[in-house]
Order: sequence, then structure tokens, then C-alpha cells
Amino acid sequence: MDIHFEKVEVRFDGRTVIHPLDLTISGRRVGIIGLNGSGKTTLARMINGLVKPSSGQVTVNGFDTVTNEDEARGQSGFIFQNPQNQIILPLLREDIALGLKSRKLPKPEVTAAVDAILDRFGIRHLGDRRAHELSGGELQLAALASVLVTEPKILVMDEPTNQLDLKNRNLVEKTIHTLPEDVIVISHDLDLVAGLDRVLLVHEGRIATDGKPGEVIGQYRAMHGATA
Amino acid sequence: MATRDLVLSALFAAIIVALGLVPPIMLGFIPVPITAQSLGVMLAGVVLGAKRGTISVLLVLVLAAIGLPVLSGGRGGLAVFMAPTTGYLIGWVFAALTTGYLSQLLVSHSQAGFVQTVNFFVAALFGGVIVLYICGISYLALVTGLGFSKAFMGSLAFIPGDVLKAVIAALAGRAVMVGYPLLPQRA
Amino acid sequence: MRSLHINGDSVLHRLPAAVKLAALAVISLVLFMIDNAGFLASAALAGLAGHALLRISAAEIWRRMRPFALIVVAVALFTVTFNGTAEGLTAFFRLAALALFASLVTATTTTGDFIDVITRAAMPLERLGILKARDVGLSIGLVIRFVPEILSRYEVIRDAHYARGLKPRPVSLIVPLIITTLQSADEIAAAIDARGIRSQK
Repeated sequence: MDIHFEKVEVRFDGRTVIHPLDLTISGRRVGIIGLNGSGKTTLARMINGLVKPSSGQVTVNGFDTVTNEDEARGQSGFIFQNPQNQIILPLLREDIALGLKSRKLPKPEVTAAVDAILDRFGIRHLGDRRAHELSGGELQLAALASVLVTEPKILVMDEPTNQLDLKNRNLVEKTIHTLPEDVIVISHDLDLVAGLDRVLLVHEGRIATDGKPGEVIGQYRAMHGATA
Repeated sequence: MATRDLVLSALFAAIIVALGLVPPIMLGFIPVPITAQSLGVMLAGVVLGAKRGTISVLLVLVLAAIGLPVLSGGRGGLAVFMAPTTGYLIGWVFAALTTGYLSQLLVSHSQAGFVQTVNFFVAALFGGVIVLYICGISYLALVTGLGFSKAFMGSLAFIPGDVLKAVIAALAGRAVMVGYPLLPQRA
Repeated sequence: MRSLHINGDSVLHRLPAAVKLAALAVISLVLFMIDNAGFLASAALAGLAGHALLRISAAEIWRRMRPFALIVVAVALFTVTFNGTAEGLTAFFRLAALALFASLVTATTTTGDFIDVITRAAMPLERLGILKARDVGLSIGLVIRFVPEILSRYEVIRDAHYARGLKPRPVSLIVPLIITTLQSADEIAAAIDARGIRSQK
């Protein structure tokens, strides 16, 4: 992945959420950590064009998220904190097909693509189930399938292990490490982040540290008084 | 239409459908069960305003028309649009529209809480009772050939309950506005 | 939420949804224009006979028509009382025929077919710039998707009342239900935008 933030600043209602920032995100698996309200979700949402910079520009694999919104958006998929709100049609199969509909593919191709993505995550049996009947882990896999069916090159995940039991948390961790797509993970789950290639620590709208997981997590713990 | 407005309308439509499925809420001081669906129509207006409120009610009617049992008592299908009481269903659209329009017109954040509640009540009463009954009674009178005065008499018994719903809608509308303000509608 | 559609392979099932809807419109117009009780009675009978195509039991037909039977009978009795027996019978057969024919179209048309018809019907509105035709199907899907979610939210809120020894009251049930539900709108909207579902291409 090749994401550039150039002199990016974000203000909401006169409050600065992200202070002017230059940042390049590349590599395979990058984590973003920080306190609640530090600006990490805003930072991640800019990659998908869900949040537009108040000034400066964000480019994703060369596409500007403002002037080239659709292409920039097509580069990345976004998994939200609560996958419950991400599945938007009743049947999983319908929901996955929805992302393909805007491409105007013929019906058999859509069906084939849906089956392929369900098989990739081993959830073909969930295709005709109703979204509200799925368990937490099943919902995460369903959300992944619905997002990755359009073949984005980058996947952004916002707190993917939040509220999952240990078994499902481990499933998500394993999935992150086996995905061929590049991954950006926002998380409070420091064990999960420790296994990534690079970690950004966001603090009060600024990048406080950027480096190897061990160092960054160590500094995060030190900043917030964890001595043990 | 912004995606958020589309989602808000759809979610409110789902709330109206859900209100038709939950067991009737008994009011403590009178033994009348409140069937909450027409309350949902008034709420759509006071919470979402004219445009989004009307769309949410239209969505419920479309769902009913295409054969989903979304109306209270599990009713649905095209037959509900071919019944003597169809005027009340069509009236929902104008009820939500009027209630929403009046809410946007009358209620503002600078008003005292009591004034806001009263204004919401006026909006819900005018839209959700007066406009609704004009639609319902006219349709009943014309379709059955009963004539207006008899159609009016036949509907009279339901009016007190609906006035009570306007009170509930006003209290709830004001509480939602404090907890999650959606009015005045942002363009 | 189960649709009122009934699986089958009858003539009515195979007719395009748009044709059935147009026919229903014409039939209802005719039923309103003709005041002859005998004609209206035969129409109602025809509508009832049409239900044989669905291959469902008489009890099932009654279950489907019961909510309408109540209203129709009430209006008919009211008309008999005030306008006389002849007018009461006319009203009864007309209203019964209308409900029966409408129920036939509903039973033989799938939700998906209806959504396709509505989407096509909305195309002229799209050209006028009033709405996006595809949004109709998306919105319908969203409502069906979130009704069970909202019902379980309602149960949680009601149980929270009991747990605190409070009696559930309309306002204290409805307000948190609306607020928690509408709060999820932001994330659902973001998910739709992030997946490019409403983009033009």
C-alpha cells in the first residue's frame, strides 16, 4: 500500500481533531493505537474518504480522496467497530452481492463471486442466514467477505477484536496474518498490534511515535503509567 | 439524498414496524392498550422532520404493499390498500408530513423545554390526529357510501386514544431532541 | 419477518408482477363503478375461488383474510344499520372482493419481484432527479434487516426497566429505543459509503 497524508489537518466544529500532519503509510500490516478520542479513527477514516481533510490532501495508491473519491475508495475496504451495523441487507448473500451491483455485472458472475468469497472465509453455509442470527465471530467474517468481495488492495479494520471472546479474537488475529491484502488495524488489543510490522501511536491528534511494535507499545504503556 | 438521511428514514421505518409487533403498551391510568404504530407515525414527524419522516412512513407502506406483514396485527399485502380503512394508511403519509413540517416550524433549540413539548404536541395533534382523520374519514365516507357524518361517528371512539398518543409523541419527541438532536434538519 | 408470498407454480405465479398489479388496478376500478350486488357477489366468489390456485387449506385462507373480515363486516353492519340492507350487502361484497383479489396478487408475487417493479417504476422519477431508483431496493432491504435488531433492543430496554424495578411506560421505552437505534445510523451510512454501494458506477 502507498498512502500519503500531505499537510493534512481535520477540524470539526472549530475543534482541531488532527493537527497538521505529513505521513506515509506503506508496508504490509500497520497498527494504529492511542487513547479513546485521540484521533486514530479519524485518521483511518480518511484513508477511505469517509472523513475529508479540512486542509491538505490524502492520496491512496495515487488517488486523491477528494478529487478522485470513487477510485480512492475502491483501493480500500473498511471494517467498522460494530460489524452488526455493517451488514445492511437481511441475507448475507444479498448483502455481499450489493457491493458488486454498482459494477453492473451479469447475475451468474455476481453469484460466482459471492460463492468464491464465502468459500474463502469458509462461511458458505452462512450465506442464506439472516444477519441478526450470526454470532460475533461469524459477523466479523461476514463483514470481511462483504468488504473484500470488491477486491480492495488495502483493508482498514477499526477495533476488530473488540467484544469478541478469546476464540473469535484469535480467529480474527489469524485472519489478519493470512490476508493477502495489506492491512491497517486500529486497536486497543496490544497483543494483536504486537504482531504487526509497524505501529503508529496517535496522541491528541498527532502522531506521537511511529516504529516497531515493541518500542511504540512500550512508550504507550509508559505514557499512561503502566509500570507493571 | 445523503446516505445518512436514507439510513435514518429506513431505521425509523423499522422502528414503526417494530412498534406494530411489540405487545400493546398498557397505560396505567386508563385500561386502553396503546397500539403504538400510529404513534410511530407522529414520532417520525417530530423526530425526523417533514422530509425524512414522510419517507420513513412511505417505506412502511411500500413494505406492506409488497406483502410483508408489517402493520399491527401482522397485516400486510395489497388488501390493506383495498380496505375501508385504507384512508387512514394513506393519511399516515400526510400525518407525518404535517407533523414534521410543523415541528420544524414551531420548535427550536432556544425555547424552554415546556414550550418545545407544547409545540411538538400541537404538531402531532394537527398532523397525527386532525389531518389523519380527515384522510381516513373522507376515504371511508366515499368508498363505503356511508356519507361523512356517519363515517365521522364511526371513527369518534378512536380519537381520545390518538390525542393521548400525540401527548406521548410530544414528550418523546422533546426527549429525543435533547438526547440526539436531528431537528432542525441539516441540509 | 416472513412475507405473505406463497410458493407455487400457478398461472398467477407465472404472470409478471407488473401485469398483476395493472390487472388489480383495473379490477378495483370496475368494482367501484358497478353497484349491482349480484355482480359484486360473483366477483367476491371469483376472488375466493382464485385462492384454490394457491393450494392452501381453507383454514389458511381464513387466517390470511381474518384481519380484513373484521373491518369489512363492521363497515357492512354499520351501513345496514344506517343506509339499509341493500346498500350494506353491496358494500360487503365490494369490499370482500377487493380484499380477496389483492390478497391473490400478494400471495403469488415475491418480494424481489415487487422491488424490481418498484425500481423500474421509479426510473422516470430518477430522470427527473427526484430520487435514485436503486435506493428503493436498498431502503426496503435496510428496513427488513433492522426490524429484528430493533425488537431485541426493545426487549433489552424493557428488561432494564424490570431489573431496576420500574414499570415500562411508553415514553421511557420509546425514547431510548429511538436514540440507540438512530445513533447506529451514522455507522450504517458510513458502511454504505465505504463500500461504494450508492456510487454511480
